Amino acid sequence: MAYPYVSDREVRLLSTYFGDPKQRHIETYVKRGGYSALEKALGMGPDDVVEIVKSSGLRGRGGAGFPTGVKWSFMPKEKKKAHYLLCNADESEPGTFKDRELMRWDPHQLIEGCLIGAHAIRAQHVYIYCRGEFFEANQVLARAVEDAYAKGYIGENILDSGHDIEVTVHQGAGAYICGEETGMMNSLEGRRGEPRIKPPFPAAVGAFGKPSTINNVETLCAIPHIVKNGGEWYRQWGTEKSPGTKLFCVSGHVIKPGNYELPLGFPLIELIEDVCGGMKDGNALKAVIPGGSSVPLINAEEARACKLDYEGCVDVGTMLGCASVIVMDETTDIVKQVRRMVDFYAHESCGLCTPCREGTTWTAQILRRIENGKGTEDDLDTLMEMTQNMVGTTICVLSDSVAAPVQSSIEKFRDEYLALIRRGERVGAA
Amino acid sequence: MSDVPFKNPGWAGNTGEFDLTEEEVRGDDFVGTRPLHGGHASGAGTMPFMLPETNPDAKLFEGEYQERFDKILTRYPDKQAALLPTLALTQELRGYVSAASMDRVAELLGLSPAYVRGVTTFYTMYNKRPVGRHLVQVCTNISCSLCGADDVVEAFLRYTDTELGETSEDGNFTVIEAECLAACGFPTCVQINSRYYENVTPSEVPKIVEHLKAQTDGDS
Ligand SMILES: Cc1cc2nc3c(=O)[nH]c(=O)nc-3n(C[C@H](O)[C@H](O)[C@H](O)COP(=O)(O)O)c2cc1C
Ligand code: SF4
Ligand code: FES
Repeated sequence: MAYPYVSDREVRLLSTYFGDPKQRHIETYVKRGGYSALEKALGMGPDDVVEIVKSSGLRGRGGAGFPTGVKWSFMPKEKKKAHYLLCNADESEPGTFKDRELMRWDPHQLIEGCLIGAHAIRAQHVYIYCRGEFFEANQVLARAVEDAYAKGYIGENILDSGHDIEVTVHQGAGAYICGEETGMMNSLEGRRGEPRIKPPFPAAVGAFGKPSTINNVETLCAIPHIVKNGGEWYRQWGTEKSPGTKLFCVSGHVIKPGNYELPLGFPLIELIEDVCGGMKDGNALKAVIPGGSSVPLINAEEARACKLDYEGCVDVGTMLGCASVIVMDETTDIVKQVRRMVDFYAHESCGLCTPCREGTTWTAQILRRIENGKGTEDDLDTLMEMTQNMVGTTICVLSDSVAAPVQSSIEKFRDEYLALIRRGERVGAA
Repeated sequence: MSDVPFKNPGWAGNTGEFDLTEEEVRGDDFVGTRPLHGGHASGAGTMPFMLPETNPDAKLFEGEYQERFDKILTRYPDKQAALLPTLALTQELRGYVSAASMDRVAELLGLSPAYVRGVTTFYTMYNKRPVGRHLVQVCTNISCSLCGADDVVEAFLRYTDTELGETSEDGNFTVIEAECLAACGFPTCVQINSRYYENVTPSEVPKIVEHLKAQTDGDS
């Protein structure tokens, strides 16, 4: 298949039909076995569906890696109020580009996952909060939702099961922070997308004040496969603690960047050298960010030891995040790239918490100063101290996300900072 | 059974009038491969997204737009939740969301003007001032930046003869830098109105600019 690049090391469950526009037709989707998992799930009690997902060990693909079945079990079993399922399709973490592909190539897979999820948490309404910039994905999804309504997979008395579930595609309006679960709920309610203080947790008081659960697109796309084939089946891939397959978004200096679906625990170095065809222009590997811009970067040596699962990344001092592997070669200007990432957070901070609002801006300014050769060695200490004060002191973890690239780059690539600083000092002396 | 008082047939406001034909969205030649020249049909059709505000005193929504607005209202448990889709509809109609438009939206939804102002300014996709017919947003975030996004910005500025953030004299182009557009594996990614152009390199920029100019010359 011609989807940008494929590799025979892949295990394609969710991405089987990437590159095949026919998959968007509901007829094709059904012919290929689609919506049979929904039928199966509707025939079961909600708690039994939760049990299957629990047994699969599926962990949330939105970044935090929290077990999905456990998250679902937090929802109240007594239904006194409406329940909502929110699908987090606000993908905007730099380096991540899997959800858009999942939505535009295989929209019904997501819809089926949403419907099963809704049944499991006793929700009667699903909002798919789709990133505003994704006009195409929005269109494709909206059309798929209409088709599914027409065929009776969504709406009242789905497949004669007596269950009613509605699905709405909601287009966002451009704000990274709306990917944070409580920010998303505020945004959906027509407010500024500022995160809320927890508790209360969404399972108690969520969107529109009702119990809600938020799941990432990729998480929900895995659900139909798990329900159809069982938890044990899903565990044949991946590791004990990180079962299953995961889409890896590889970008940066590799020959074949793109989305690759691989079992969790896949060695990072093989992903770069084998699956992605190696480094561009034959350059040497310098650094990798394995989980999107919010996780610490690692150097080449750590990358060689890194296994791509939730625990394997922690072992080398970083995190799997949403498995967005950003590869940097020896020509990379680390200080510039870190500054670029911090600029992003300064732009996207919602401004509620002082350490985040001020910290992101000041960090960016100091980095810019160093980049321009006007920095001093003391600046490095200031950066470390300031970012340390941004960890664990705010409403959401956007603030913590700034500390990760800044601290890890100063620890691992101090020489590059010093080179810029010393060059500046010489220029100043002359 | 369901205690939600509304019905929902899909994307808020999507009546299909402005979008691509069935074949274009679903045809087998749609997307698929990613050619290395910019303008392939990666995105939905360009919406009438950048129309200038011609008659600011006119009623905000009429005819087709009124219908779409009414439909939006049916999708949410309360009127406030319809704010974002309503602002999007306003921008589609008027090209940007002026302070006057914000006040109209506030009236329509029974919200205070200050509240609507606060929400509108929170989100980047609402243009708070007029922009060119083609709003060129070049991603300069990390993955694109690693692969030369800065040169793509330069090229767009040169060939459209504008400064960053300004609108060209003919009203055709506004070029801005954007944050990650979630197409990092296909750098540099450029969003022009509602479409994504992927794998854009500086040498392709003149072609893209000419292509866009030809489109708007045909319109006027
Ligand atoms: C600042 C910030 C941005 C986030 N952005 C996203 C996002 O774009 N997409 C996403 O799925 N999760 C995002 N998350 C994580 C969500 O808050 C949430 O944990 C996730 O959607 C839960 O789904 P999961 O259990 O399926 O992983 C973000 C979190 C934070 C703090
Ligand atoms: S940490 Fe930053 S983004 Fe998160 S709530 Fe506080 S100010 Fe907003
Ligand atoms: S970094 Fe450019 S699209 Fe993500």
